[in-house]
Amino acid sequence: MEKQFTATKVVDARGTFCPGPLMELIKAYKSAKTNDIISLYSTDTGTKRDAAAWISKSGNELIGVFDREGYYEIVMKKTK
Amino acid sequence: MVVNILILGDGAAGTIMANKLRFLTNREDAEITVIGNSKYHYFKPDGIHIPLGMKDYRESVKSPQFLFNYGINYLRDTVAGIDVENRNVSTLSGKSYTYDYLIIATGDRLVPEEIPGFESEASHFYSLEASLDLKRKLSEFKGGKILIGPSSIPYQCPPAPYEFTFQLDRYLRRRGIRDKAEIHYAFPLNRVFTMENVSNYVQKLFDEKGIIYHTLFNLESINGEKKSVTSLEGEDLGYDLLILVPPHKGQKVITESGLADDQGYIMVDRHHLNYGSYDNVFVIGDATDLPISKAGATAHFQAEYLAGRIASEISGFVAEELYDGSVACTTVTGDEKAFTLYFSYTRPPRAMFQSKLDYILKWTSADTYFSGMLRGVM
Repeated sequence: MEKQFTATKVVDARGTFCPGPLMELIKAYKSAKTNDIISLYSTDTGTKRDAAAWISKSGNELIGVFDREGYYEIVMKKTK
Repeated sequence: MVVNILILGDGAAGTIMANKLRFLTNREDAEITVIGNSKYHYFKPDGIHIPLGMKDYRESVKSPQFLFNYGINYLRDTVAGIDVENRNVSTLSGKSYTYDYLIIATGDRLVPEEIPGFESEASHFYSLEASLDLKRKLSEFKGGKILIGPSSIPYQCPPAPYEFTFQLDRYLRRRGIRDKAEIHYAFPLNRVFTMENVSNYVQKLFDEKGIIYHTLFNLESINGEKKSVTSLEGEDLGYDLLILVPPHKGQKVITESGLADDQGYIMVDRHHLNYGSYDNVFVIGDATDLPISKAGATAHFQAEYLAGRIASEISGFVAEELYDGSVACTTVTGDEKAFTLYFSYTRPPRAMFQSKLDYILKWTSADTYFSGMLRGVM
């Protein structure tokens, strides 16, 4: 069952590709507060792996990667 | 009726655009005016060679006024405001200009001051002055840790940091001090370049040459006392010589004219290059926010598309061709070798191989650029 969450910030990077979506996510992260939930929409398949790797390395929490209709949703929680 | 075409910017994008348009239109049909204030026209790709003493910088600069073909009005002035609603451009000298077509080719700018400590600690090769300063520092370098990387994305000529790294490896070997130096390369993504197959290839060459790389390194701060940089991800890297691509932004006048946000890059239609709902306002080169390389090669393809389109419209034809994001660029891999990448919005670069011929292509590219590409004949 899909984990329930309410995004504090939604970053719609659909239609752009690497490095656009990850850079948009990092930009949103920089202005977010601790415990904020950021949701990234992307149509670029590589973003699923890139964003997950960045979230892990930066010590934040990956809530999930979800297949939506025609795009992916990557959800993270800023824990730092 | 004479169509009035106004081009803002005298860098690669503006100059190629003006010269190509002049070739494709008659003077009785179109008047072409360029507004620009560049002190000189610098062939930026030579920035990877000049600091290493491989090229004389005088081969890489020309006076902008001599680069425009006959029949183009070149005005030395600075754009102060762009009012697309009223088809008006104002300049610092107090003049104002109207247009039938407006082409914004104002490029982007380096903003090292946005990272505290950058200007006192970091060197770079993204301007002629900085390249010459880095040349001096490298000539005094006897050994230690050199850290190279982009401080943020986007930046001009995405392959330049790895190209410079390869050339630096060769330079240190030729000076006989490679064994006294560690070369570290840091990149913001989880690979060493944006395009995955290019990255795999570069990574393999880094391994062969003993270049140490760090991925997912998004620069946050520079500590000059400790001689270290810290990433957003919490990693610290030390250095004896720090070579960082400065942060980039679009021009202030773009933001102040309401054409873009604080980053200064203009959103354009990705297949027509026009701004918003305006079918007579176009943006080319580094000024756009398109998800493709900020490079002269990109501007060259965009200018070719746009000049063809505008010339067709002036002739009374409907231009149906779409811009597809095509770029071709040759990138150096050290040891007098290079490879050439061809790609577009939808077509990733194909498998690549290094060759001496590609290196010669890169080595002579300033001549090709000034005599052919910039003149609009290629």
